[in-house]
Amino acid sequence: MELFAEANYKILEKRKITTIVSLVLIFLGLVSIIFHNGLRLGIDFEGGTLMQLQFENQVEVSDVRSALQNVGHGNASIQQFGAPNEIIIRVLRLEEQEGIEASEEIKSSLSQYFPENPFEVRRLEQVGPKIGSELRGAAVLAILSALLGIVLYISIRFEFKFAIAAIIALIHDILITLGVFSVLNLEITLSIIAAFLTIVGYSLNDTIVVFDRVRENLKSLRREKYFNIVNLSINQSLSRTVVTSVTTFIVVFILWLGGGEVIQDFAFALIIGVVIGTYSSIYVASPVIVEWEARSEGKGRLAKKR
Amino acid sequence: MFKRLTPRLIIIVIAIAIAGILLYPSVRYETMSSQEKEQLRQEGQLADLESKIIRRGLDLQGGIHLVLEVDVPTLVYNIAKNKSQLFEDVFQSSKSQVSAEVRFLEVFENEADARELRLVRYFPDRGIQNSEIVSSLQDEANDAVRRALEIIRNRVDQFGVSEPTIQKVGNRRIIVELAGIEDPSRARDLIQTTALLEFKMLKTPEVTDATIRKIDQVLRRDKGELAEAISAEDTAGASEDTVITEGEVAEDEAVSVNQLFGDVEETDTADTEDSTVVVDKQVFEEKPFTAMLRNVQGQIGVPKKNKNAVERILKMKKVQEVIPPDAEFLWSAGTEILPTQGGGASEFHLLYLVNKEAGLTGGVVTDAQATLGGAGGQAAGQPVVYVDMNAAGSKTWSRLTGANIGRRVAIVLDNKIHMAPTIRSKISQGSTMIEGMANLEEAKDIAIVLRAGALPAPVDIIEERTVGPSLGSDSIQKGTTATIIGLILVLIFMAFYYKLSGLIADFALVLNLVFILAILAALHATLTLPGIAGLILTVGLSVDANVLIFDRIREELRKGKTVRAAIDSGYGNALRTIIDANVTTILAALVLMQFGTGPIKGFAVVLFWGIVSSMFTAIFVTRTVYQMFTENKTVQKLSI
Repeated sequence: MELFAEANYKILEKRKITTIVSLVLIFLGLVSIIFHNGLRLGIDFEGGTLMQLQFENQVEVSDVRSALQNVGHGNASIQQFGAPNEIIIRVLRLEEQEGIEASEEIKSSLSQYFPENPFEVRRLEQVGPKIGSELRGAAVLAILSALLGIVLYISIRFEFKFAIAAIIALIHDILITLGVFSVLNLEITLSIIAAFLTIVGYSLNDTIVVFDRVRENLKSLRREKYFNIVNLSINQSLSRTVVTSVTTFIVVFILWLGGGEVIQDFAFALIIGVVIGTYSSIYVASPVIVEWEARSEGKGRLAKKR
Repeated sequence: MFKRLTPRLIIIVIAIAIAGILLYPSVRYETMSSQEKEQLRQEGQLADLESKIIRRGLDLQGGIHLVLEVDVPTLVYNIAKNKSQLFEDVFQSSKSQVSAEVRFLEVFENEADARELRLVRYFPDRGIQNSEIVSSLQDEANDAVRRALEIIRNRVDQFGVSEPTIQKVGNRRIIVELAGIEDPSRARDLIQTTALLEFKMLKTPEVTDATIRKIDQVLRRDKGELAEAISAEDTAGASEDTVITEGEVAEDEAVSVNQLFGDVEETDTADTEDSTVVVDKQVFEEKPFTAMLRNVQGQIGVPKKNKNAVERILKMKKVQEVIPPDAEFLWSAGTEILPTQGGGASEFHLLYLVNKEAGLTGGVVTDAQATLGGAGGQAAGQPVVYVDMNAAGSKTWSRLTGANIGRRVAIVLDNKIHMAPTIRSKISQGSTMIEGMANLEEAKDIAIVLRAGALPAPVDIIEERTVGPSLGSDSIQKGTTATIIGLILVLIFMAFYYKLSGLIADFALVLNLVFILAILAALHATLTLPGIAGLILTVGLSVDANVLIFDRIREELRKGKTVRAAIDSGYGNALRTIIDANVTTILAALVLMQFGTGPIKGFAVVLFWGIVSSMFTAIFVTRTVYQMFTENKTVQKLSI
């Protein structure tokens, strides 16, 4: 079986529509981030306490909230997590010792409130504000370093304009992923940042495969127009792009389905990343190169005329 | 690389063999039962085996991860002597400016210089200039962190956890990771407790009485009633019961704290418990403080409800002024529970007035053992801790007990009094017994911290991540299942899409997973839940290299090349692409390894080695397989 054997789709011609689609998606994401839900930072970045509790029997969130109100934490975020008898409690922005006291207070209040329903603390995370701000800084630094490294590498191996095209594609991917997270009000934790970096790596993977073809074809098909060369390159790599994306998608999807709740958001971020990353390699990175080349060709022709 | 087939085959076989050897310990460990592990432990070989396996991250086996930071301000405060008001001001102001970027000692030096505070008054023998002194304090702080590290290590060692991680990070922080902990709060307490042991003499009943009466007066005055002259004490010949009204809990009245204090400033806790205290009505008007106390077997007892109010009273400035300057009030570590009239039971905290200065401190402890008190002794059947002292300690203890026969000495641990026995005779053997623990486990923990030593400065827990064991095993199970299912699906897909070549790729894929795990074992790396996700991701990504190669081969075949030429050309062209494409993912993995901690680092390590390994299997191994098929025959058609 072979897909796209002699592919010759007019891919790049659709780029106006797809650019609009991309911009709309980014716009919606930004709207959500700025006006709607914002970006929900987890305790890793805000400081606070997170407790994942498994009760023997089902519990109602409202009852848990009453129990927490008794110890002054009625404002905590309480969510059902996976099963009806499992909940996650998040109390944000506490000082260090407060976090520990809070978790102990919450535990004793819940024991009193639900004497017939014992629970187990499956997971506890406490982050003081100091560490929180440090992690924020580290996350930003990590993403910036990665981007810098990428620009350098691609500039060396290909051309500077390829590097910029790649970066634009990456920013596009990250913005849309953040947008989805904001719309769905999902929490951004350290593992999500790790997922982002993975998306960065993976999306680039795709993009470079296309660039590689472009570079190769530029050498061997000097007579062709730039536009056609890029279009051809995309077509030639189409089979590979689709197959790799499908296989990666399969595995990440399985992870999301069955890997457990702890890893679910992480897997979800990867799913978005795989889809958007593939899309951006074809419909963001390539059009940028083409446009860029078109502009400089224009200048080049002008220069030659003189 | 090597062109000929035979060396290539040899390399591959050797690689597989090495992988097998590296993985064997992990396989053995995972399939061993607990009894077999126990047997190995007894033979002293368990640690050796454990050093060769792939470790499970805390999120997979359950455990506790703590980041501790040494409380430098408190350390400096404790070292300082003869603190004046100006010192206090400078200190508090410096402390409030501390943040992630701003270090305490820097601010402290600046503030001291700005307000012309000469530190030499408070920190003798460290130099004359403020800068010299601060530099010496800095050294002491660094040293304190090192000592704290050692002490915590000692404490944790005695806890008996396998492969604990205790590391210094930067100048002030310590990371502690303990796997398989059943009771995280016990571990937390064990690590964090300062464990300062002190022996302080109790003030005589007369002095204690007088102090309490003075407090009564202060409170009465503050309630706006007429000030009473401090009359001469009429305690001549009084029995020890003059402290509080005789046992009868006459008419208890619930009095609101507001009533007690008059105007009370805003309290920030929504404590409903605190708003009433229980007082003896008869005495309340005249002796408001006394009325909150009870006689509990000859000692000062404070009903549980009153504890916070009493604490607040004791902190009031005017009250502090009437407490003798060389004395302080300390609470008992536990509570007494006594039956009351009417059949219920009341819980009391005990309150003591002791010398501020300790006659003896825990530095002299050489050994501490927890056990149940022997039959016939004072504490028969109760948990006790026997403490041995060194020569200097024994001497001091002997002198102390000899000079104070008949008086009571308080055994204080972290400013809580465990017991206050009466000294019946001089103790010259340098050992003593501590009672008053709730259970044997608490006694054992106290013995552990006494043996390990007191922390030079308090440590704050600035980050904690605890995973219960049930979640750990759940996560492993789900992660493993997802990996296997994902793997199977991809294997099927590849076989379907690329036919026989797909099977070759499948073989490479499985080999890839084996290699990754072997590398992890060789590095004694930690596998975390994100790490398992990384494995799964690698399955998807490592397919990529093969896809690139195979698609090229197909293309070349379409162009009309012979099978062998197509294969060569395919590999040749794809190599460049593979490297370029994978480098970026490797870059991302490296960044994550650099900046990530714990679970995320685990993910990055797997991702990195996964890609490296996949390049090897895709390029080298599959090529070799093709070579095997095409070496000596002319293959007409390639199943691809």
